[in-house]
Amino acid sequence: MFSRSNSRANNPRTRVATLLAMAAIVWSLPAQSQVLSDTIKIPDFLSATAARMSALKLPDTVQVHGFATQGYLNSTGNNNVFGNSNQDSGTFGFREVGLNASVQLRPNLLISAQGLHRHAGLGSQDIRLDYGVIDYKAYSGENSQFGIRLGRIKNPLGFYNETRDVAHTRPSIMLPQSIYFDRSRNLAMAADGGHIYGETRTSKGDFFYQFGVVMPYVGGTTTEAALLGSDRAGHLTSQVSYIGRGIYEYDGGRVRLAVSGAQTNVNYNRGADPALLSGQLQFTPIIFSAQYNAERWSLTSEYAIRHTVANNFGVALPNSATTGESYYFQGIYRFTPKWEGVIRYDVLYTNRDDRHGHAYAATSPATRDPHSRFAKDITTGIRWNVTQSFMLAAEHHYVNGTAWLAPLDNPGVSSPVGHHAQHWHLFAVQGSFRF
Amino acid sequence: MISSCCRFALLLILLLGMLSTIGVARAHEHYEVVVNANVTARSLPSNSLRAIFGMRQQTWPDGMPVKVFVLADDAPLHSSFCKEKLSAFPYQLRQAWDRLVFSGTGQAPTRVSSSEEMFDRVTSTPGAIGYLEKSKISERINVLQIK
Repeated sequence: MFSRSNSRANNPRTRVATLLAMAAIVWSLPAQSQVLSDTIKIPDFLSATAARMSALKLPDTVQVHGFATQGYLNSTGNNNVFGNSNQDSGTFGFREVGLNASVQLRPNLLISAQGLHRHAGLGSQDIRLDYGVIDYKAYSGENSQFGIRLGRIKNPLGFYNETRDVAHTRPSIMLPQSIYFDRSRNLAMAADGGHIYGETRTSKGDFFYQFGVVMPYVGGTTTEAALLGSDRAGHLTSQVSYIGRGIYEYDGGRVRLAVSGAQTNVNYNRGADPALLSGQLQFTPIIFSAQYNAERWSLTSEYAIRHTVANNFGVALPNSATTGESYYFQGIYRFTPKWEGVIRYDVLYTNRDDRHGHAYAATSPATRDPHSRFAKDITTGIRWNVTQSFMLAAEHHYVNGTAWLAPLDNPGVSSPVGHHAQHWHLFAVQGSFRF
Repeated sequence: MISSCCRFALLLILLLGMLSTIGVARAHEHYEVVVNANVTARSLPSNSLRAIFGMRQQTWPDGMPVKVFVLADDAPLHSSFCKEKLSAFPYQLRQAWDRLVFSGTGQAPTRVSSSEEMFDRVTSTPGAIGYLEKSKISERINVLQIK
């Protein structure tokens, strides 16, 4: 799986062809033409094509949706985010395109799948099946329901993980990196397996729950780089893992509280790796989430502890058990339904027992940088919902620390040799369309 | 001193008067939740209505599939309906639909562009639910009471 997705992604012709095909499908869909024509002006020939295509009416149980996002990033301090953002001209290398279809075969049976292309630095340049799910609702009563999902299922972690690549669902261009760090996103995004889910509605609020037994997705080079420091000669294999989330919503979602967690098990098969032995990794994040929604403003906070255990990798990577800690506070203010501002303080500690990396660096000051073990990010941003389908956003990050920078885009990021500045700025702009 | 007291009292009375008219206006909404004539339900608890418009409840109590119709997010009637019947804001509904649609766990409601289209679609689609100004309601469409 690993090598297949990689070789496909590395073939530019396949990539371009798939993108073109996606674009062609997107532009020709009837649902699209309707949404488009009454929201934004599109060139006449496209309207005409769309109008012709809408003769092919989809049954009303079928829906097609999609999104396309283009970003621009510029950063300082020799620190790269989503590509070579540190160069003077910044980078336009951040792109997300997704297309999904769903069929409600019966009221209790839904089948859906989404294809996703994401370009964001060296680690993430592939096209993949983002999810493919059969959802059977076994019971649906007046106040509760219960069902089962099978297939490739988005991981229910925190408030944002399941739709983390859809710009319209993010509170900012970049999700709070302390919890939704993009450097190990492949592991976090989706997993193959089965989930049970349900909800119970009471006069005191609604309860939602979900629990899954899955095989995590370990393809791509980023996961390896994030877990083992670089893209190594061996490869990762997924093991049976567990994931779950419970949400409580009061008064139509005015107050939302959630607890989510996972136990992710991954093995490393050393292959020809000269340094590491075949070892095991266990990653256990637990996330507490809270949100208050008013008409003009929303306050959100999430706190996560992440326990990571590495065993049997040999002398080059001694057995270890570390607990990381993350949290953020975020406020969104809607000046009008079209204009909103966001402000956030986001903190990541790789090891809560050594928050500022002093102990980490002390053992080998020449190769270990203390500020690669934390990151405190003050984000301010603005978003303009130009139409219901199209939005523009801009934001600024002032970051102290380099803990969430991707090693593939930032060689030597954990070492002073890499000259990655502790205090740095990131500016980002994004346009996104969805239907 | 006395005159300022009088002015304060007058202001208070005016304010209370305004509040009570707001209360009256809210109690007599200018729209109703409407359903297709073949829907047998005549009333629904508000948390079931929330589940239906949240696109999490796909069937009526008698098992018939639900078809949900809504106006655009920024339509004033949509906004009143969200706030008064679902106790939510349009942006919250949009977020909930986006979560379903882009995680493969649900579908979005069908958007209509006017009250006229709402009337046409709800009257012509079995199992349909929507909302409509009272002035546009006729005997061809059923009104659903929300408890």
